[in-house]
Amino acid sequence: MCERVTVEDVERAIDMGFRDLESLRRYLRIGMGPCQGRYCIPIALGILSRRLGVPIEKLGYVTVRPPLEPVPGKLFLRGAKDV
Amino acid sequence: MYDVVIVGGGIIGVSLALKLAEQGLGRVLLIERSYLGSGSTFRCAGGIRASFTSKEHIVLMKRSIELWGELRERLGIKYARSGYLWLASREEDLERIKGYMRIHHMFGLDTRLVDEDFVKQVAPYVDTSGMAGALFDPLAGKADPFDSVYKQFLAAKKLGAEFLIGKEVARVIIEGGVARGVEVDGGKLPARGVVVAAGAYSVHLLDRSGVKIPLTPVPHHAALTEDFERLFDPLIIDVASGAYAVQTFDGHVLMGVDVEEAPFGELGVRLAFLEKVVTVWSRWLKWLPGVNILRYWPGYYEMTPDHHPILGPVAGVENLYVATGFSGHGFMMAPVVAEEMASWIASGRPKSREAGNLVISRFEEGRAIKELAVIG
Repeated sequence: MCERVTVEDVERAIDMGFRDLESLRRYLRIGMGPCQGRYCIPIALGILSRRLGVPIEKLGYVTVRPPLEPVPGKLFLRGAKDV
Repeated sequence: MYDVVIVGGGIIGVSLALKLAEQGLGRVLLIERSYLGSGSTFRCAGGIRASFTSKEHIVLMKRSIELWGELRERLGIKYARSGYLWLASREEDLERIKGYMRIHHMFGLDTRLVDEDFVKQVAPYVDTSGMAGALFDPLAGKADPFDSVYKQFLAAKKLGAEFLIGKEVARVIIEGGVARGVEVDGGKLPARGVVVAAGAYSVHLLDRSGVKIPLTPVPHHAALTEDFERLFDPLIIDVASGAYAVQTFDGHVLMGVDVEEAPFGELGVRLAFLEKVVTVWSRWLKWLPGVNILRYWPGYYEMTPDHHPILGPVAGVENLYVATGFSGHGFMMAPVVAEEMASWIASGRPKSREAGNLVISRFEEGRAIKELAVIG
Protein backbone atom coordinates (compact mmCIF):
# COMPACT_ATOMS: atom_id res chain seq x y z
CA MET A 1 0.00 0.00 0.00
CA CYS A 2 2.24 2.84 1.23
CA GLU A 3 5.20 1.48 -0.78
CA ARG A 4 2.92 1.29 -3.89
CA VAL A 5 3.44 -2.40 -4.58
CA THR A 6 0.84 -4.11 -6.78
CA VAL A 7 -0.34 -7.75 -6.87
CA GLU A 8 1.26 -7.98 -10.30
CA ASP A 9 4.61 -6.81 -8.85
CA VAL A 10 4.43 -9.57 -6.24
CA GLU A 11 3.54 -12.27 -8.76
CA ARG A 12 6.31 -11.18 -11.14
CA ALA A 13 8.89 -11.17 -8.31
CA ILE A 14 7.86 -14.70 -7.28
CA ASP A 15 8.37 -15.86 -10.85
CA MET A 16 11.82 -14.18 -10.94
CA GLY A 17 12.95 -16.35 -8.04
CA PHE A 18 11.97 -14.43 -4.90
CA ARG A 19 10.09 -17.36 -3.41
CA ASP A 20 9.99 -16.51 0.30
CA LEU A 21 8.40 -13.68 2.24
CA GLU A 22 11.69 -12.24 3.60
CA SER A 23 13.08 -11.85 0.07
CA LEU A 24 9.83 -10.50 -1.40
CA ARG A 25 9.70 -7.96 1.39
CA ARG A 26 13.20 -6.70 0.68
CA TYR A 27 12.95 -6.84 -3.11
CA LEU A 28 9.66 -4.96 -3.24
CA ARG A 29 9.78 -3.13 0.14
CA ILE A 30 6.51 -4.70 1.31
CA GLY A 31 6.16 -4.06 5.03
CA MET A 32 8.88 -1.40 5.22
CA GLY A 33 6.44 1.50 5.69
CA PRO A 34 5.18 3.10 8.93
CA CYS A 35 2.86 0.24 9.96
CA GLN A 36 5.70 -2.27 9.53
CA GLY A 37 3.69 -4.63 7.37
CA ARG A 38 0.65 -5.23 9.51
CA TYR A 39 -1.62 -4.86 6.48
CA CYS A 40 0.42 -5.82 3.45
CA ILE A 41 2.45 -8.79 4.72
CA PRO A 42 -0.64 -11.01 5.24
CA ILE A 43 -1.85 -10.05 1.75
CA ALA A 44 1.56 -10.87 0.24
CA LEU A 45 1.53 -14.16 2.15
CA GLY A 46 -1.79 -15.07 0.47
CA ILE A 47 -0.43 -14.28 -2.99
CA LEU A 48 2.74 -16.30 -2.35
CA SER A 49 0.71 -19.25 -1.08
CA ARG A 50 -1.50 -19.23 -4.19
CA ARG A 51 1.39 -18.83 -6.60
CA LEU A 52 3.53 -21.58 -5.09
CA GLY A 53 0.62 -23.87 -4.24
CA VAL A 54 1.89 -24.12 -0.66
CA PRO A 55 -0.51 -23.70 2.31
CA ILE A 56 -0.03 -20.41 4.20
CA GLU A 57 0.77 -22.16 7.48
CA LYS A 58 3.79 -23.81 5.86
CA LEU A 59 5.28 -20.55 4.56
CA GLY A 60 6.08 -18.92 7.91
CA TYR A 61 5.95 -15.25 8.81
CA VAL A 62 8.65 -12.58 8.53
CA THR A 63 10.89 -11.76 11.48
CA VAL A 64 9.22 -9.00 13.49
CA ARG A 65 11.78 -6.43 14.66
CA PRO A 66 11.36 -4.29 17.78
CA PRO A 67 9.92 -1.82 18.57
CA LEU A 68 6.51 -3.29 17.72
CA GLU A 69 5.27 0.17 16.84
CA PRO A 70 7.34 3.18 15.77
CA VAL A 71 8.37 5.10 18.91
CA PRO A 72 10.01 8.53 19.17
CA GLY A 73 13.76 8.63 19.73
CA LYS A 74 13.36 10.67 22.92
CA LEU A 75 12.15 7.58 24.79
CA PHE A 76 15.75 6.35 24.62
CA LEU A 77 17.48 9.66 25.29
CA ARG A 78 19.67 9.60 28.39
CA GLY A 79 22.02 12.01 30.11
CA ALA A 80 25.46 11.86 28.50
CA LYS A 81 26.89 10.29 31.67
CA ASP A 82 24.39 7.43 31.64
CA VAL A 83 25.51 5.81 28.40
CA MET B 1 29.60 -32.48 -10.97
CA TYR B 2 29.87 -28.75 -10.25
CA ASP B 3 33.01 -26.81 -11.05
CA VAL B 4 32.52 -24.50 -8.07
CA VAL B 5 30.15 -24.72 -5.10
CA ILE B 6 29.86 -21.51 -3.08
CA VAL B 7 28.52 -21.90 0.47
CA GLY B 8 26.77 -18.72 1.61
CA GLY B 9 24.35 -16.40 -0.19
CA GLY B 10 25.48 -13.08 1.25
CA ILE B 11 27.04 -10.30 -0.77
CA ILE B 12 30.37 -12.17 -1.02
CA GLY B 13 28.88 -15.40 -2.35
CA VAL B 14 26.46 -13.69 -4.73
CA SER B 15 29.17 -11.35 -6.11
CA LEU B 16 31.47 -14.33 -6.66
CA ALA B 17 28.71 -16.36 -8.35
CA LEU B 18 28.22 -13.51 -10.81
CA LYS B 19 31.95 -13.08 -11.41
CA LEU B 20 32.47 -16.81 -12.08
CA ALA B 21 29.43 -16.92 -14.37
CA GLU B 22 30.70 -13.90 -16.30
CA GLN B 23 34.09 -15.50 -16.76
CA GLY B 24 32.50 -18.76 -17.90
CA LEU B 25 34.33 -20.76 -15.27
CA GLY B 26 32.05 -23.76 -15.61
CA ARG B 27 29.03 -24.91 -13.65
CA VAL B 28 28.54 -22.80 -10.51
CA LEU B 29 26.18 -23.54 -7.62
CA LEU B 30 25.54 -21.23 -4.66
CA ILE B 31 23.93 -22.74 -1.55
CA GLU B 32 22.20 -20.54 1.04
CA ARG B 33 20.69 -22.04 4.18
CA SER B 34 18.08 -19.32 4.78
CA TYR B 35 17.38 -16.54 2.25
CA LEU B 36 19.89 -14.47 0.26
CA GLY B 37 21.49 -11.77 2.41
CA SER B 38 20.04 -13.21 5.61
CA GLY B 39 23.34 -13.40 7.54
CA SER B 40 25.22 -10.13 7.94
CA THR B 41 24.69 -8.51 4.52
CA PHE B 42 21.12 -7.32 5.01
CA ARG B 43 21.93 -6.14 8.52
CA CYS B 44 24.80 -3.88 7.46
CA ALA B 45 24.89 -0.13 6.87
CA GLY B 46 26.14 -0.29 3.28
CA GLY B 47 29.07 2.11 3.82
CA ILE B 48 31.98 1.90 1.35
CA ARG B 49 35.43 3.48 1.88
CA ALA B 50 39.12 3.01 1.22
CA SER B 51 40.16 5.26 4.10
CA PHE B 52 41.59 2.54 6.34
CA THR B 53 44.93 2.36 8.12
CA SER B 54 46.55 -0.74 6.57
CA LYS B 55 48.00 -1.13 3.08
CA GLU B 56 45.93 -4.26 2.42
CA HIS B 57 42.62 -2.58 3.24
CA ILE B 58 43.46 0.61 1.35
CA VAL B 59 44.75 -1.05 -1.84
CA LEU B 60 41.92 -3.60 -2.04
CA MET B 61 39.22 -1.05 -1.23
CA LYS B 62 40.49 1.40 -3.87
CA ARG B 63 39.95 -1.34 -6.45
CA SER B 64 36.61 -2.30 -4.90
CA ILE B 65 35.39 1.30 -5.25
CA GLU B 66 36.26 1.24 -8.98
CA LEU B 67 34.28 -1.98 -9.29
CA TRP B 68 31.30 -0.53 -7.37
CA GLY B 69 31.22 2.22 -10.00
CA GLU B 70 31.16 -0.41 -12.74
CA LEU B 71 28.35 -2.32 -11.00
CA ARG B 72 26.28 0.86 -10.92
CA GLU B 73 26.90 1.41 -14.66
CA ARG B 74 26.30 -2.18 -15.73
CA LEU B 75 23.53 -3.36 -13.43
CA GLY B 76 22.03 -0.12 -12.16
CA ILE B 77 22.90 -0.95 -8.56
CA LYS B 78 22.10 1.86 -6.12
CA TYR B 79 25.57 3.14 -5.27
CA ALA B 80 26.61 6.73 -4.54
CA ARG B 81 30.07 8.21 -4.03
CA SER B 82 28.65 10.46 -1.33
CA GLY B 83 31.62 10.45 1.05
CA TYR B 84 32.40 9.71 4.67
CA LEU B 85 32.53 12.50 7.23
CA TRP B 86 34.29 12.05 10.59
CA LEU B 87 32.93 14.54 13.13
CA ALA B 88 35.24 15.55 15.99
CA SER B 89 33.76 17.21 19.05
CA ARG B 90 36.95 17.39 21.13
CA GLU B 91 40.53 18.46 20.42
CA GLU B 92 41.80 14.91 21.04
CA ASP B 93 39.39 13.57 18.40
CA LEU B 94 40.60 16.20 15.96
CA GLU B 95 44.18 15.05 16.57
CA ARG B 96 43.12 11.48 15.93
CA ILE B 97 41.50 12.22 12.55
CA LYS B 98 44.60 14.22 11.56
CA GLY B 99 46.59 11.03 12.22
CA TYR B 100 44.21 9.04 9.99
CA MET B 101 44.60 11.66 7.27
CA ARG B 102 48.40 11.39 7.25
CA ILE B 103 48.14 7.65 6.57
CA HIS B 104 45.52 8.17 3.87
CA HIS B 105 47.79 10.69 2.11
CA MET B 106 50.68 8.19 2.13
CA PHE B 107 48.50 5.95 -0.07
CA GLY B 108 47.15 8.68 -2.32
CA LEU B 109 43.76 8.95 -0.66
CA ASP B 110 42.46 12.46 -0.89
CA THR B 111 40.87 12.87 2.57
CA ARG B 112 40.88 16.42 3.92
CA LEU B 113 39.92 18.49 6.93
CA VAL B 114 36.77 20.50 6.29
CA ASP B 115 35.09 23.45 8.02
CA GLU B 116 31.55 24.14 9.18
CA ASP B 117 30.49 25.69 5.87
CA PHE B 118 31.47 22.55 3.99
CA VAL B 119 29.67 20.31 6.49
CA LYS B 120 26.52 22.43 6.14
CA GLN B 121 26.60 21.90 2.36
CA VAL B 122 26.95 18.11 2.35
CA ALA B 123 25.04 17.54 5.60
CA PRO B 124 22.47 20.31 6.03
CA TYR B 125 20.69 18.57 8.92
CA VAL B 126 23.82 17.97 11.01
CA ASP B 127 24.28 20.49 13.83
CA THR B 128 27.83 21.85 13.77
CA SER B 129 27.71 23.96 16.95
CA GLY B 130 29.70 21.35 18.91
CA MET B 131 32.17 20.62 16.11
CA ALA B 132 35.91 20.98 16.76
CA GLY B 133 36.76 19.76 13.27
CA ALA B 134 35.88 17.20 10.62
CA LEU B 135 37.58 14.91 8.09
CA PHE B 136 35.98 14.22 4.72
CA ASP B 137 36.68 11.33 2.35
CA PRO B 138 35.23 12.14 -1.09
CA LEU B 139 36.04 8.71 -2.56
CA ALA B 140 33.89 6.89 0.02
CA GLY B 141 30.17 6.26 -0.37
CA LYS B 142 27.31 3.85 0.15
CA ALA B 143 25.31 1.18 -1.68
CA ASP B 144 21.94 -0.44 -1.01
CA PRO B 145 22.54 -3.98 0.36
CA PHE B 146 19.20 -5.37 -0.93
CA ASP B 147 19.66 -3.93 -4.41
CA SER B 148 23.31 -5.04 -4.55
CA VAL B 149 22.46 -8.66 -3.73
CA TYR B 150 19.31 -8.91 -5.84
CA LYS B 151 20.64 -7.32 -9.05
CA GLN B 152 23.78 -9.48 -8.94
CA PHE B 153 21.67 -12.57 -8.14
CA LEU B 154 19.38 -11.94 -11.14
CA ALA B 155 22.37 -11.23 -13.41
CA ALA B 156 24.19 -14.39 -12.25
CA LYS B 157 21.06 -16.52 -12.73
CA LYS B 158 20.66 -15.16 -16.25
CA LEU B 159 24.24 -16.25 -17.03
CA GLY B 160 23.53 -19.78 -15.82
CA ALA B 161 24.72 -19.76 -12.20
CA GLU B 162 22.54 -22.05 -10.08
CA PHE B 163 21.11 -21.24 -6.66
CA LEU B 164 19.99 -23.68 -3.98
CA ILE B 165 18.16 -21.63 -1.35
CA GLY B 166 16.83 -22.87 1.98
CA LYS B 167 19.25 -25.80 2.26
CA GLU B 168 22.02 -26.00 4.84
CA VAL B 169 25.43 -27.44 4.05
CA ALA B 170 26.21 -29.99 6.76
CA ARG B 171 29.91 -30.06 5.94
CA VAL B 172 32.51 -29.74 3.25
CA ILE B 173 33.54 -33.22 2.15
CA ILE B 174 37.32 -33.49 2.50
CA GLU B 175 39.02 -36.76 1.55
CA GLY B 176 42.76 -37.28 1.50
CA GLY B 177 43.39 -33.55 1.92
CA VAL B 178 41.21 -32.63 -1.06
CA ALA B 179 37.78 -30.94 -0.98
CA ARG B 180 35.42 -33.09 -3.05
CA GLY B 181 32.11 -31.28 -2.62
CA VAL B 182 29.54 -30.63 0.09
CA GLU B 183 26.99 -32.64 2.04
CA VAL B 184 23.39 -31.38 1.88
CA ASP B 185 20.32 -33.23 3.21
CA GLY B 186 22.41 -36.36 3.77
CA GLY B 187 23.43 -36.43 0.10
CA LYS B 188 26.67 -35.47 -1.57
CA LEU B 189 27.04 -32.70 -4.12
CA PRO B 190 30.40 -33.29 -5.81
CA ALA B 191 32.45 -30.28 -6.89
CA ARG B 192 35.93 -29.52 -8.21
CA GLY B 193 36.21 -26.52 -5.89
CA VAL B 194 34.40 -25.36 -2.75
CA VAL B 195 34.31 -21.76 -1.54
CA VAL B 196 33.18 -21.07 2.03
CA ALA B 197 31.70 -17.56 2.17
CA ALA B 198 29.32 -18.10 5.07
CA GLY B 199 30.31 -15.07 7.14
CA ALA B 200 30.00 -15.64 10.88
CA TYR B 201 28.70 -19.16 10.24
CA SER B 202 31.89 -20.15 8.39
CA VAL B 203 33.58 -21.02 11.68
CA HIS B 204 30.93 -23.62 12.56
CA LEU B 205 30.76 -25.05 9.04
CA LEU B 206 34.54 -25.40 8.78
CA ASP B 207 34.70 -26.87 12.27
CA ARG B 208 32.17 -29.56 11.21
CA SER B 209 34.41 -30.20 8.19
CA GLY B 210 37.55 -30.62 10.30
CA VAL B 211 39.16 -27.27 9.41
CA LYS B 212 40.11 -24.71 12.08
CA ILE B 213 39.77 -21.01 11.33
CA PRO B 214 40.48 -18.12 13.74
CA LEU B 215 37.08 -16.46 13.50
CA THR B 216 34.98 -14.99 16.30
CA PRO B 217 31.42 -13.77 15.65
CA VAL B 218 30.58 -10.73 17.81
CA PRO B 219 27.07 -9.21 17.88
CA HIS B 220 26.61 -5.61 16.75
CA HIS B 221 23.43 -3.55 16.60
CA ALA B 222 21.71 -1.12 14.24
CA ALA B 223 18.51 0.94 14.33
CA LEU B 224 16.51 2.70 11.64
CA THR B 225 14.33 5.84 11.78
CA GLU B 226 11.34 6.69 9.62
CA ASP B 227 12.17 8.11 6.17
CA PHE B 228 12.85 11.73 5.21
CA GLU B 229 13.95 13.87 2.27
CA ARG B 230 17.67 14.66 2.02
CA LEU B 231 19.23 15.10 5.49
CA PHE B 232 22.94 14.39 4.90
CA ASP B 233 24.80 12.80 1.99
CA PRO B 234 27.94 11.26 3.55
CA LEU B 235 28.03 8.47 6.08
CA ILE B 236 28.82 10.31 9.31
CA ILE B 237 30.96 9.09 12.20
CA ASP B 238 31.14 10.52 15.71
CA VAL B 239 34.86 10.10 16.38
CA ALA B 240 34.53 10.15 20.18
CA SER B 241 32.18 7.14 20.36
CA GLY B 242 32.78 5.49 16.97
CA ALA B 243 29.02 5.72 16.25
CA TYR B 244 27.99 5.92 12.59
CA ALA B 245 24.84 7.06 10.80
CA VAL B 246 23.89 6.90 7.14
CA GLN B 247 20.80 8.03 5.27
CA THR B 248 19.72 5.09 3.14
CA PHE B 249 18.58 5.33 -0.48
CA ASP B 250 15.01 5.13 0.83
CA GLY B 251 15.53 8.10 3.15
CA HIS B 252 15.74 6.28 6.49
CA VAL B 253 18.55 7.04 8.93
CA LEU B 254 20.44 3.86 9.87
CA MET B 255 22.57 4.20 13.01
CA GLY B 256 24.97 1.98 14.92
CA VAL B 257 27.36 2.14 17.85
CA ASP B 258 29.37 -0.43 19.81
CA VAL B 259 27.99 -1.79 23.05
CA GLU B 260 29.69 -4.44 25.12
CA GLU B 261 29.09 -7.91 23.68
CA ALA B 262 30.61 -11.32 24.33
CA PRO B 263 32.35 -13.27 21.55
CA PHE B 264 29.97 -15.91 20.10
CA GLY B 265 27.11 -14.09 21.92
CA GLU B 266 23.50 -14.69 20.88
CA LEU B 267 21.87 -12.09 18.64
CA GLY B 268 19.56 -10.38 21.14
CA VAL B 269 17.94 -7.02 21.79
CA ARG B 270 19.85 -4.55 24.04
CA LEU B 271 17.99 -1.56 25.38
CA ALA B 272 21.42 -0.13 26.25
CA PHE B 273 22.20 0.02 22.52
CA LEU B 274 19.14 2.12 21.69
CA GLU B 275 19.90 4.44 24.58
CA LYS B 276 23.51 4.90 23.55
CA VAL B 277 22.92 5.35 19.84
CA VAL B 278 20.07 7.86 20.29
CA THR B 279 21.96 9.79 22.98
CA VAL B 280 25.19 10.02 20.96
CA TRP B 281 23.50 11.04 17.72
CA SER B 282 21.14 13.54 19.37
CA ARG B 283 24.20 15.77 19.88
CA TRP B 284 24.75 16.07 16.11
CA LEU B 285 21.19 15.38 14.90
CA LYS B 286 19.16 17.68 17.16
CA TRP B 287 15.87 16.50 15.61
CA LEU B 288 16.47 12.82 16.41
CA PRO B 289 14.56 12.74 19.76
CA GLY B 290 11.42 13.88 17.91
CA VAL B 291 11.44 11.30 15.11
CA ASN B 292 10.29 7.70 15.17
CA ILE B 293 12.52 4.66 15.47
CA LEU B 294 11.04 2.05 13.11
CA ARG B 295 13.22 -1.01 13.50
CA TYR B 296 16.16 -2.34 15.47
CA TRP B 297 18.18 -5.49 14.75
CA PRO B 298 21.41 -7.23 15.73
CA GLY B 299 23.92 -8.87 13.39
CA TYR B 300 27.37 -10.41 13.54
CA TYR B 301 30.79 -8.98 12.75
CA GLU B 302 32.97 -12.04 12.14
CA MET B 303 36.27 -10.95 13.66
CA THR B 304 39.76 -12.26 12.91
CA PRO B 305 42.80 -11.71 15.17
CA ASP B 306 44.11 -8.86 12.95
CA HIS B 307 40.65 -7.58 11.90
CA HIS B 308 41.39 -8.33 8.25
CA PRO B 309 39.58 -10.88 6.07
CA ILE B 310 40.72 -14.41 5.34
CA LEU B 311 40.83 -15.00 1.58
CA GLY B 312 41.94 -17.62 -0.88
CA PRO B 313 43.06 -21.24 -0.62
CA VAL B 314 43.26 -23.08 2.70
CA ALA B 315 46.74 -24.48 3.30
CA GLY B 316 46.63 -28.29 3.56
CA VAL B 317 43.25 -28.75 1.85
CA GLU B 318 43.36 -28.74 -1.91
CA ASN B 319 40.44 -27.11 -3.79
CA LEU B 320 39.04 -25.49 -0.62
CA TYR B 321 38.82 -21.69 -0.58
CA VAL B 322 37.53 -19.24 2.00
CA ALA B 323 36.32 -15.63 1.83
CA THR B 324 35.24 -14.63 5.30
CA GLY B 325 36.44 -12.88 8.47
CA PHE B 326 35.68 -9.40 7.16
CA SER B 327 35.44 -8.03 10.69
CA GLY B 328 32.62 -5.64 9.79
CA HIS B 329 33.80 -4.61 6.29
CA GLY B 330 32.60 -7.42 4.02
CA PHE B 331 29.86 -5.60 2.15
CA MET B 332 32.14 -2.88 0.85
CA MET B 333 34.88 -5.35 -0.12
CA ALA B 334 32.63 -7.76 -2.03
CA PRO B 335 33.44 -6.64 -5.61
CA VAL B 336 37.21 -6.86 -5.17
CA VAL B 337 36.92 -10.10 -3.21
CA ALA B 338 34.90 -11.65 -6.05
CA GLU B 339 37.60 -10.59 -8.50
CA GLU B 340 40.43 -11.95 -6.35
CA MET B 341 38.68 -15.24 -5.56
CA ALA B 342 37.85 -15.80 -9.24
CA SER B 343 41.54 -15.25 -10.06
CA TRP B 344 42.59 -17.79 -7.41
CA ILE B 345 40.07 -20.34 -8.69
CA ALA B 346 40.95 -19.83 -12.37
CA SER B 347 44.73 -19.46 -12.18
CA GLY B 348 45.79 -20.50 -8.67
CA ARG B 349 47.01 -16.96 -7.98
CA PRO B 350 45.47 -13.79 -6.57
CA LYS B 351 45.35 -10.70 -8.75
CA SER B 352 47.12 -8.48 -6.23
CA ARG B 353 49.91 -8.97 -3.71
CA GLU B 354 47.72 -7.43 -1.00
CA ALA B 355 45.03 -10.10 -1.44
CA GLY B 356 47.78 -12.73 -1.30
CA ASN B 357 48.78 -11.37 2.11
CA LEU B 358 45.35 -12.31 3.47
CA VAL B 359 45.55 -16.11 3.19
CA ILE B 360 44.72 -18.10 6.33
CA SER B 361 48.31 -19.37 6.73
CA ARG B 362 49.44 -15.83 7.69
CA PHE B 363 48.41 -16.47 11.30
CA GLU B 364 50.58 -19.56 11.72
CA GLU B 365 53.46 -18.04 9.82
CA GLY B 366 53.55 -14.87 11.92
CA ARG B 367 52.45 -12.65 9.04
CA ALA B 368 49.30 -11.19 10.57
CA ILE B 369 48.45 -7.82 9.04
CA LYS B 370 49.82 -4.79 10.87
CA GLU B 371 48.13 -1.43 10.97
CA LEU B 372 50.47 1.30 9.67
CA ALA B 373 50.12 3.24 12.87
CA VAL B 374 48.31 2.85 16.12
CA ILE B 375 46.15 5.90 16.42
CA GLY B 376 44.62 7.12 19.66
